[in-house]
Amino acid sequence: MNDDYLWNRSGPPDAEIVRLERTLASLRQESLPPLILRAPMSAWSEWIGVALLAASLAIMVGGVTLAYRFHPQAPGWEITSLERQRDLRIGGWLETNSREKATINVANVGTVSVEPLTRLRLIDTRTGNHRLELARGTVHARIWAPPGQFFVETPSSTAVDLGCAYTLTIDDEGSGLVSVALGWVGFEWHGRESFIPAGSMCATRPGVGPGTPYNEHVSPAFRAAIETIDFRSGSPDQVAALDLVLAEAQERDEVTLWHLLTRVDGGQRDRVFDRLTRFVPPPAGVTREGVRAGRRDMLDRWWDALGLGTASWWRTWKQPWRGSSR
Amino acid sequence: MTDDLARLDLVRLVRAAQGGSRQAFGELYAQHRRSVHGILLSRVPRAEVEDLVQDVFMTAMQRLGTLREPEAFGGWLAAIARNRATDHLRRMPQTVELTEAVGGTVDPDRTEALAVLAVVRTLPDAYRETLVLRLVEGMTGPEIAVRTGLTAASVRVNLHRGMKLLRERLS
Repeated sequence: MNDDYLWNRSGPPDAEIVRLERTLASLRQESLPPLILRAPMSAWSEWIGVALLAASLAIMVGGVTLAYRFHPQAPGWEITSLERQRDLRIGGWLETNSREKATINVANVGTVSVEPLTRLRLIDTRTGNHRLELARGTVHARIWAPPGQFFVETPSSTAVDLGCAYTLTIDDEGSGLVSVALGWVGFEWHGRESFIPAGSMCATRPGVGPGTPYNEHVSPAFRAAIETIDFRSGSPDQVAALDLVLAEAQERDEVTLWHLLTRVDGGQRDRVFDRLTRFVPPPAGVTREGVRAGRRDMLDRWWDALGLGTASWWRTWKQPWRGSSR
Repeated sequence: MTDDLARLDLVRLVRAAQGGSRQAFGELYAQHRRSVHGILLSRVPRAEVEDLVQDVFMTAMQRLGTLREPEAFGGWLAAIARNRATDHLRRMPQTVELTEAVGGTVDPDRTEALAVLAVVRTLPDAYRETLVLRLVEGMTGPEIAVRTGLTAASVRVNLHRGMKLLRERLS
């Protein structure tokens, strides 16, 4: 038996293998990434020199990038695990009842698992911009796209994927909670921003926007205190809440403290400055006065010193979604 | 792309992904998604495969920093997929895979495909995996070798012997 066709399709086609290929191809995974065509190399690769080789590699790398960025996307997403609805078109809604779950293939960039009693809508899907509205319920997002391409709009914040795995819950009043398993999520509403790393959670409230992120292992009292600081503006309990947070804060809470630098008032800001300094001293050039004045450059430099990634990525990646939130 | 360039490209992507590049990981995902799908499909019920593909890449992303030889990415990823399938089968209760005729209309082509797949799955592991990659996923022998970390010679033998066995069982 000549196996060339079976090996690499180079020999005369074997009728039975061709029939099996045609039959079994229907089981192939749908929504495969597009085939990225490259110029054939074999004919001229024998004589090109190292420089030309390097140049061709650079061109191919660019080609891959361009193809990735600009290949046409389908106008809707495939829904699996739900018999009565197989796709989600732009403008279309998906609503699960109390017994239903669904999985959505987000173009070629990831999946969203939908819990029961969830209502969501596909706002847009095109290269570099995939956008859902979560009206209520819970979704688990696992995204492979580069950061800043997948967004979930909620009544109180827009979540932008900067990592790859998170759970977002929104209740009937529009309040929500994001819990990040891997990577990062950015939460934004009218210029109020929160950066939530893996292992952290962050609440959001209508009319206020995202709260302060906190480590998933903090005490219930710590969590309640953060909620008071974030969402009970003017409450007499604010000072006591900050007292508790500062007293309980550990090194793992540096992200929380960094956010509080801009979320508490004047004199209280100095207390947060002192507490954060115990864990991560401010880098050279970052002064108490500058932080007190809310100097963005100083806050970014201190953020960078936390060792969680530089602030510049956020400043760059968030641009496409600035102004898109309510 | 020549083998050398393919290897360079793979090394570049793996190193970039290890350095935190999501775009690089996305490209690795696009390149290897079919092979992971095929490896899983040769072992677990079809309805479970989509979710397991995602799990495999999640695991790969989490562990990518431990991969010392970027050129070994294909074999490393294939091993994760095989282990994930084994874990899944160990944990899941004994079930019978439903055909699409249940609760829906009968598609004769689809039914025949599922029947053939069922026969392929009766073959030894090495044969069924290679045949699924070749006949379902449409990969060539050399592609299968690159994506699974097997030598080209092993893939060729698996294809030859697996196809021989499959012909016998189908007849």
